[in-house]
Amino acid sequence: MEAPYDDRLLHRRVVGGDESALGEVYDRLSSLIFGLSLRVTRDRVIAEDITQEVFLIFWERPLAYDPDRGSLRAWLATIAHRRAVDHVRAEERRRVSVLGPRLFEPEPPRLEETVLAADEAKRVRQAVTRLPDGLREAVELAYFGGRTYRQVGEELGVPEGTAKSRIRLALRRLADALAEEEV
Amino acid sequence: MEPVERLYLDALMEEPAVPERSLRPQLLAGARARRRPAAPTATWAEPYAARVAAMDALLAAAIDDDWSRIIVEGWTLQELVGHLAAKDGLLAHSVGAPVLGPAVSALDAMGRTAEVHAFERARSPEQTRRDWRAQADALSRHLAAMPAESAATVDGLDAPISDHVLARSLETWIHTADAAGQAGIRLPRPLAGHIHPTADLCARLVPWTLLFSGVEAAGRTLRLTLTGEGGGEWRVPLGAGSPRPASRTRTSRPTWSASASCWAAGASRRRSRPRWRVTPPWPRRSCAPRPRCRGRSRRRHHGAHDMDLPATGTPRPAAER
Repeated sequence: MEAPYDDRLLHRRVVGGDESALGEVYDRLSSLIFGLSLRVTRDRVIAEDITQEVFLIFWERPLAYDPDRGSLRAWLATIAHRRAVDHVRAEERRRVSVLGPRLFEPEPPRLEETVLAADEAKRVRQAVTRLPDGLREAVELAYFGGRTYRQVGEELGVPEGTAKSRIRLALRRLADALAEEEV
Repeated sequence: MEPVERLYLDALMEEPAVPERSLRPQLLAGARARRRPAAPTATWAEPYAARVAAMDALLAAAIDDDWSRIIVEGWTLQELVGHLAAKDGLLAHSVGAPVLGPAVSALDAMGRTAEVHAFERARSPEQTRRDWRAQADALSRHLAAMPAESAATVDGLDAPISDHVLARSLETWIHTADAAGQAGIRLPRPLAGHIHPTADLCARLVPWTLLFSGVEAAGRTLRLTLTGEGGGEWRVPLGAGSPRPASRTRTSRPTWSASASCWAAGASRRRSRPRWRVTPPWPRRSCAPRPRCRGRSRRRHHGAHDMDLPATGTPRPAAER
């Protein structure tokens, strides 16, 4: 999926060395990137470091991002996820090494080029199934069925605005559900 | 991205998480240390400062092998950067800005390029990159205080300083595209507000292109339509009254006349890039000979009264060597 026009414009400005564009990208996406990093690491300080680093990478190597291959949000989230998972694994290895050396080091698993690891994706899907029917149907049509808000409304027999607000409500419920699971 | 990932990110955005303290000031300070922003300069010189920053971002990603790869005109990436530094230095010299690198003795593009190449040969690619960036930024800073109309003579060509700077911007863009193409990196276009003045320069150069190509066009007017971002429409009077080069000796020949149409037409190959359509005010048969670009020219004919300028594979300054 190609990036939206705003992403392209911000990207072009960052490539051209415009610092204020970096500030705008940060304002728009930092809470997402921080939230994502925090979920994986469960450490505010580490999550702040990762957030900072993700935006610095974009600034320093803006040509590594290709808007034809996806949104800026997804690209930054993928880097954040990878960094957060790396951190968690390094922590695990450190804990293990305190207990003594292993006889066989396991092969490090290939780092997923994704925003979500397989088990996390499963949790999201499960959280969707637990939504009230009206919300669940709207989300399934919009995300898994690739429908527009208008089409979701038509299929559910409600106005477009209602479809839109159901989806937003569903997203908030999902966010809460995922947060509760982590506590 | 997987639908479930998109759903996850959308859900996270509904539940903003905020760091204890704002990371913004720290981020921007860190960003400056990691990669220098475009140099502050006059508004009319911003297209140039931005192209320099873009080229530098590309060079930051270059590894050992990349530097010795031939990019264009038989030059390696390091030599190409030296060439850009040489020409930026000539412009700096003409406006009294600091000139870095070896002392200036040659005042023509190829002579100065040879001097810079000889100097940089003993240096590492990274040093050449630093020298080029320092020269470009010193020039940008110097331009900040200059009016756009100030006259400058570079390589035998008299023109307002703003036109010389746009030509530098164009060449930097073209060579960045050359190097990015070799490295398989997609280079995003400049901003529309930066393309437009460059396109305007190219439109104003069309009469020269025709002049050099021996086209009899005196008294005629071309209508140029450039669609896409930064585009517009230009009526360009040809022949008498159009700007002429100061002289046509070998060393003072303007180095960017033909590149105007080459760049513009070259850009027409790619979707959503600006596209030139030239509507000649004379019957088609009398169009020939047409504007000619050096290099891999392809001529294409569209309709009875419209013609596309010849498309080149890679936009490049044509009359450079």
